[in-house]
Amino acid sequence: MKQDDSTFVATAEIAPRPRPSEPAGWWVRTRALYFSSPATSATTILLSIVLIWLCVRFVDWGVVRAVFSTGSQGPDVCRQPEAGACWAVVAEKFRLILFGVYPYELHWRPALAIAVLGVGYLLSAMRKLWSRRLVGVWIVVLVVYGILMRGGILGLVHVPEDQWGGLPVTLILATLSLAAGFPIATVLALLRNSPRPSVGKAIAVAFIEIARSVPLVAVLFLASVMIPLFLPADVSLSKLFRVFVAFSLFSAAYLAEVIRGGLQTIPRGQYEAAEALGLGKMVTLLKIILPQAYVAVLPAIVNVFIAFFKATSIVVVVGIFDVMTAAQRAVADPMWQGFGTEIYLFVGVIYFVFCFAMSRYSATLGQR
Amino acid sequence: MAHSSGDGWPIVDIRNLNKWYEDYHALRDINLSVAPGERVVICGPSGSGKSSLIRCINGIEPFQTGSIDVCGSRLEPGQGDLTLVRRQVGMVFQQFNLFPHMTVLENCTLAPVSTGRLAAREASELAMSLLARVHVAEHAHKYPGQLSGGQQQRVAIARALCMKPRVMLFDEPTSALDPEMVKEVLDTMIDLANEGMTMVCVTHEMGFARQVADRVVFMDNGQILEIAPPAAFFASPRHERTQAFLRDVLDR
Repeated sequence: MKQDDSTFVATAEIAPRPRPSEPAGWWVRTRALYFSSPATSATTILLSIVLIWLCVRFVDWGVVRAVFSTGSQGPDVCRQPEAGACWAVVAEKFRLILFGVYPYELHWRPALAIAVLGVGYLLSAMRKLWSRRLVGVWIVVLVVYGILMRGGILGLVHVPEDQWGGLPVTLILATLSLAAGFPIATVLALLRNSPRPSVGKAIAVAFIEIARSVPLVAVLFLASVMIPLFLPADVSLSKLFRVFVAFSLFSAAYLAEVIRGGLQTIPRGQYEAAEALGLGKMVTLLKIILPQAYVAVLPAIVNVFIAFFKATSIVVVVGIFDVMTAAQRAVADPMWQGFGTEIYLFVGVIYFVFCFAMSRYSATLGQR
Repeated sequence: MAHSSGDGWPIVDIRNLNKWYEDYHALRDINLSVAPGERVVICGPSGSGKSSLIRCINGIEPFQTGSIDVCGSRLEPGQGDLTLVRRQVGMVFQQFNLFPHMTVLENCTLAPVSTGRLAAREASELAMSLLARVHVAEHAHKYPGQLSGGQQQRVAIARALCMKPRVMLFDEPTSALDPEMVKEVLDTMIDLANEGMTMVCVTHEMGFARQVADRVVFMDNGQILEIAPPAAFFASPRHERTQAFLRDVLDR
């Protein structure tokens, strides 16, 4: 039977057939991925060698020759020529790094405060708990945090703020400034995105542009040194509070630009549909525009969060005792001099745990 | 209430309406009124101003001179809050404009609940019955992105009906649909017309106009050129540009 190729009518239904199987075997797949051409093969081999060499070196330094405990002999064990990483210094200093100069015998209180914040993070991360009750949860978390850190009630010894330090300070500073910065950023973004000129819009544009073109360090000095000069002598805001305000406003400027990008992805039809249904301005904003805008730029929002979480380490310059300041103090101990690498690696791991968690979590949110 | 005096005739009354986009005179001396229960179809070549006109009726587009009485409220140039008028006028868009982050049911209940018109449960019940009427009840808990264009447009119709509007505006409701889905949406609109809903409809579907319209309005260049009942409009158009338009549209 010859098929005419200019006109054609099917005479039979073609039944589905199984797809031909791919060439099997791990070697076939590996070759296709890593050795498909001479250049790919060369890259694969070269990078593998570098990677293996680095791993071997690190394991040799960090595990094989490492000193995990000095026993009773002190830091001199680590100074032997054949000694590798001195993890003993981390064991010695981790309480200083985590809790700063908080009174040593009261360290259970900042530890508990970190745990309480952790519970807050975990509850907030669970999508099915997202409701107004979360606000209540956070009020409780912050009050408990305050009681544990400050003391002075419930029979807890009062610990003044200048003795707080380490991880609880880093976490509370990052959490509060981003929590305060986010709504400010939303308002700024909405003002800047509004089609009509207004005084509010002018202020928003000026604020965003100025904040973005001034270094964070300068803002911090401004907050910690200059503001007290302008305040009456009997008014004193705590340094932590002033730095918190500076961070909130600074992060708000960056977040505002990200959120504005999200607002610009919303098609006009969404506004028109809301108008046509007779929805009020607030309902339109809160139920239709903002949820879509946030989701559209979620990766960029998380990016700002991560950047600012790390940027809190800059409070070192105004003498707030966060994790980074504590690490510097630990490194400066004359008895343990020369082991900065180990201490900074440890601090790096702390930051990595939080940033990586944020990054992974935002990836699961984005999948929806 | 805004509609207290609006129960008489007509339900939409457009007088001497003029609109400009920058310096372009987009709507020119438009006069048109729509009686309760009447079905008016507006047609014309693209760029003729028909979409602009229908969007002026619920104040989504501003206009510069003239007035529109809708359900007893008067729209005038530079007016502030049109929310109350809009709650009595349903609108269906070419691009559906469903809220993609909400389920079909949430799309339908948001407006009646947030405007305080219905309690959450009543709104749900009304929405489900309307979704059943447009044959998408089984998709009530899906998101718009999971539905076909025809299904989305039927949801959009149900969403508008949830506000119990006194008049429905359709802005080219089938123009963004794949051809095989046009019929299901038109059938839904025909059902709605048969139930006595007042409708103003911009469309290129001449079959729909012939079957459903009480009057057909032909626009070109921002101007109404001809208004006639469908029988006369299609059999013996009077304006030469109507004749040319119908030749182009029908002789294919």
